[in-house]
Amino acid sequence: MAKIIKEDVVCPFCGTLCDDIIVIVEDNGIIEVQNACAIGTAKFFSSNASDHRYTEPLIRNNGKLEVVSWEIALNKAAKLLAKAKRPLSYGWSSTECDAQRKAVELMEVCGGVLDNTASVCHGPSLLAIQDVGCPTSTLGEYKNRADLVIFWGSNPVHAHPRHMSRYSDFIRGYFRVDGYLDRKIIVVDPRNTHTAQLADMYIQVNPGEDYELFNAIRAMLRGVELDVNEVAGVPIEQIKELIETLKSCKFGVLFFGLGLSMSKGKHRNVDGGISLIRELNDHTKFLLTPMRGHYNVSGANIVFSWITGYPFSIDFSKDYPRYNPGEFSAVDLLINNDFDVTLIVASDPASNFPKDAVINMLKKPLIIIEPHKTPTSEMANIVLPPAIAGIECEGTAYRMDKVPLRLRKVKNAPEGCKTDVEIVEDLIKKVKKLKGE
Amino acid sequence: MGKIELKLKKEPTFSLEAESISPDNFKGKTEKEIMVLRLFHGNEKLKIKDFFTVKGNGGDNIDDIEIAISGNLVKIKRIGEKMSGGKIVINGDVGMHVGNSMSGGKIVVKGNADDWAGAMMKGGELEITGNAGNYVGAAYRGNWEGMTNGIIKVKGSVGFEAMIWARGSTPQKRFPKFICGSAGQFLGLHNHGGIIICEGDAEARVAADQARGVVVVKGKIKRMMPSFKKIGEVPEIELPDGKKITGNFFEYSGDHATSKETKGRLFVAK
Repeated sequence: MAKIIKEDVVCPFCGTLCDDIIVIVEDNGIIEVQNACAIGTAKFFSSNASDHRYTEPLIRNNGKLEVVSWEIALNKAAKLLAKAKRPLSYGWSSTECDAQRKAVELMEVCGGVLDNTASVCHGPSLLAIQDVGCPTSTLGEYKNRADLVIFWGSNPVHAHPRHMSRYSDFIRGYFRVDGYLDRKIIVVDPRNTHTAQLADMYIQVNPGEDYELFNAIRAMLRGVELDVNEVAGVPIEQIKELIETLKSCKFGVLFFGLGLSMSKGKHRNVDGGISLIRELNDHTKFLLTPMRGHYNVSGANIVFSWITGYPFSIDFSKDYPRYNPGEFSAVDLLINNDFDVTLIVASDPASNFPKDAVINMLKKPLIIIEPHKTPTSEMANIVLPPAIAGIECEGTAYRMDKVPLRLRKVKNAPEGCKTDVEIVEDLIKKVKKLKGE
Repeated sequence: MGKIELKLKKEPTFSLEAESISPDNFKGKTEKEIMVLRLFHGNEKLKIKDFFTVKGNGGDNIDDIEIAISGNLVKIKRIGEKMSGGKIVINGDVGMHVGNSMSGGKIVVKGNADDWAGAMMKGGELEITGNAGNYVGAAYRGNWEGMTNGIIKVKGSVGFEAMIWARGSTPQKRFPKFICGSAGQFLGLHNHGGIIICEGDAEARVAADQARGVVVVKGKIKRMMPSFKKIGEVPEIELPDGKKITGNFFEYSGDHATSKETKGRLFVAK
């Protein structure tokens, strides 16, 4: 068989959405991936035939998953959803925008609750943005202009391995011709991470005290002498040095991760960060961007917002969309037992939700659309195997800076797999029919 | 007359949205008319009589209406939403959003309340004899104006982010007031003129980002915000609504993260 070389492929793994990947395919199997990081490469290889890949729909019968036809599996799933009084759908961040668009329609038809992975990830960042705004830009702008880059509570060396080489540190930019020599890196983190070890300035903040540090910096930026000698474990002298560095740059950018959005204080930590960036613009140019995890979680927020007005945790039970993270978010519904069926798409909550939420989730019918065996899918009642978006079918995804990129198809899906959109469209048709609409 | 008794006869499986239970909705209605008011149970649209026994008619004068509710109400949300007068007495623990956006009247919860109790209140009184969850008297997501008037009293503890974005106004004589036994983090965050009194200890980040208003903590603050500055000691505090609190307090100004000179004050027991 001839080797097929696919160039300029977009990597469907993390929010950096690298678009320079070369994939070599032979006999409908990926044999080589160039330019991608280790995680991205592994994702491409995961599409090859293996024991971990589902290729046929499965239904649990007497405790065992058994192969059934698409018609039987979809009918059963549709019946569960149509009958449900409080269905919950969660995930959606690792698939493409058309499927996400259909997700909104499905949950509207079912009168259920729709949530995406932002609710356990950067959801708090979105809450903060709704409270205090967000001065932001695209990654290309940062690459060409930024001479000061701050990573606060994020560790791109491990979580977004090519971020620093493509946008934020080593890359040469239009006005940053010497690459990393033209940029200063500051890392704020409780742990001396591998990113921190690359930094020009490392600030070790006490765990869970980022908010105090933000407000201290903001007060000192206004010329207030504080009563204390150290804040959140950071000496005042070091904060003064940091403030001078922040004020003297030409173009600064703050990249923040779950260290802010998921430590104590959550959205208020991000609120503090955004307020600081806003106020730094009195002195110089400063912007910020959250380091989004799933490759299309940004897209999920955007698609849900343009249809319903809200980025995640949306309740359709009253026929119109309502929004309240903490009430309509997946973890809260599961812990409060406020659901009767779950539809999980492109996500693995059994691995990362709180124990009580997972225990409750497994007590009630669970439908999953998932290409691989995961702890969640292994315990599901119905498994619907899709083609992997961005590898086996096309679609659109939004990068962490909200730039949409077209995902490419590099190989065919295993025979018998439908795309996410096709599956959700089938479910909508069947649920509508059952509900007599 | 306008005494109405509601008794829970069937516990809901999912959360039950009961914004129809308020003096405004019961006004001028007979027992039978009250029974068929709408409740939302998941995506089902049901009636009050499906879950409650109803006794009594709603009178024509809203201020004479008194609704007494009993049973296990932890899954019942939004009781007294947007009420403008009358009284609700809840015997037991109650679910989320009790008394949110109310503008008048009184709600007494004889038990604990879940999150968002009295959120965005515009007037009236909410009294909780037990503990309350997070976001008591808070602003809903993305709102810059939380509680604008009225009073919330919580005997026990409150969770995180109580009384955030409170908006008072001395010229308009609006003094949103909040009294609690003890508080979690972010009590009085983004305060703009609210009066907040914590009878016991508060955890951390008290009055963070406060622009103006008064926060009084009669116990200890576990972790003080670094952006507050100690001004001195006072033997008595005069609140913006004219009331006074006596006792020895340290006076702090802040939050200086929002401005160099600030009218915001935080008092902590000496």
